[in-house]
Amino acid sequence: MSGAIPEAEREALAGEYVLGTLEAGAARAVEAALPQDAALRAAVERWEARLAPLAALAPPEAPPEGLWSRIEAALPPAVAAPAATIVPLRQPAPARPDLSGLWRGWAMGSTALAAGLAAFLLLRPAPEAPARLMTVLLTQQDQPAWLVEAEGGGLRLAALNPRPVASDRVLQLWALPPGATAPTSLGLIPPEGRISVSPGAITPQPGMLIEITLEPPGGSPYARPSGPIQFIGRLAPATGS
Amino acid sequence: MRDGAAPAEDATLPALIAAVARGEQAALRGVYDRQAARLFGVANAILRDREMAADALHDAFLKLAARAAQFDPARGAAEAWLAGIVRHAALDLARRRGREMPTDDPGLGDTPVPPAALERVAASEEGRRLRECLLALEESRRNGIVLAFVHGLSHAQIAARLELPLGTVKGWIRRGLLQLRGCLA
Repeated sequence: MSGAIPEAEREALAGEYVLGTLEAGAARAVEAALPQDAALRAAVERWEARLAPLAALAPPEAPPEGLWSRIEAALPPAVAAPAATIVPLRQPAPARPDLSGLWRGWAMGSTALAAGLAAFLLLRPAPEAPARLMTVLLTQQDQPAWLVEAEGGGLRLAALNPRPVASDRVLQLWALPPGATAPTSLGLIPPEGRISVSPGAITPQPGMLIEITLEPPGGSPYARPSGPIQFIGRLAPATGS
Repeated sequence: MRDGAAPAEDATLPALIAAVARGEQAALRGVYDRQAARLFGVANAILRDREMAADALHDAFLKLAARAAQFDPARGAAEAWLAGIVRHAALDLARRRGREMPTDDPGLGDTPVPPAALERVAASEEGRRLRECLLALEESRRNGIVLAFVHGLSHAQIAARLELPLGTVKGWIRRGLLQLRGCLA
């Protein structure tokens, strides 16, 4: 399913998906297409908003006793969840390039990391060098998409599985430190790999959420993401390095 | 997830969901305490089986814990977003069991949409507009849409319940949706 779906067809498909009348196979196909197909996703969101008031027709009803305990028991355990997404690098991180030049221009190393886009983002140096932090940003289908390493106040990104971005959209990188209520933009990730940085008072730290959203050209018009999260992960101390 | 401090009693639902995105389990409990009865009602209207509705709510809250960061308050109300997660979890369960629930289920009531019930839809400005647009639809189309959205009925079940040919129902629902969209635009 691609952006080639005619508009009327897409509207009807999105409407029937939200309504719930699609058969299992078709519903799964829509779910699988949503992360890649921004137009379909927007159509689904609009249908959810249009029909949402109908949910008031379902009378509220107390759930069975003990349901919360069941949910709680099935939640991922503390700390273990982010650690499970960590993929230790077999090779040492590539040598640090000349940081003064990077700060102005965003050099892209075509680094040892195989899959193409790699960017080095210089952030405010940490007061004391923390241990190396890593995470793998996952897609909505929990597929690994980006390897993120943080060391010495910098953040390095490498695409594990490069995929095309719609020509009228850009990827924007965000960080949400633990306890913060809104993410801070770390800049855009254009396809050719140059990136403009808005240096913020952000220091990579364990538990920091790193996310990449799909945004209109030039990035989110707001100080927060305006588009859907494409990839997300949480920094945790690197293991096995 | 970490336990986190208990959320403030006056924390808004979007703030709780943001805290869930940060891994605060206490915030997830906060969402549950406030929304479980409403969301269980949404799931049970589709499944009409309390055990299965509990399973749907269970699946939906695990999904919420994993996907809370995807909620964007700029793109819709938190209540609607949560109900959407629960509806799709319930629909998945309904599809998995082949939606074999009987269409003469007394839980469905005598009339799919007693006009008075639509008053409940009109609690918000969006709801008022939706009610007006629903009332502008031909009755069978309106009933078909409500049976599908609220009770999770498939095309075939709606056709059986409204005693109409399957092909007719499919076309009506599709046209009804597009008509709604035009009316709400």
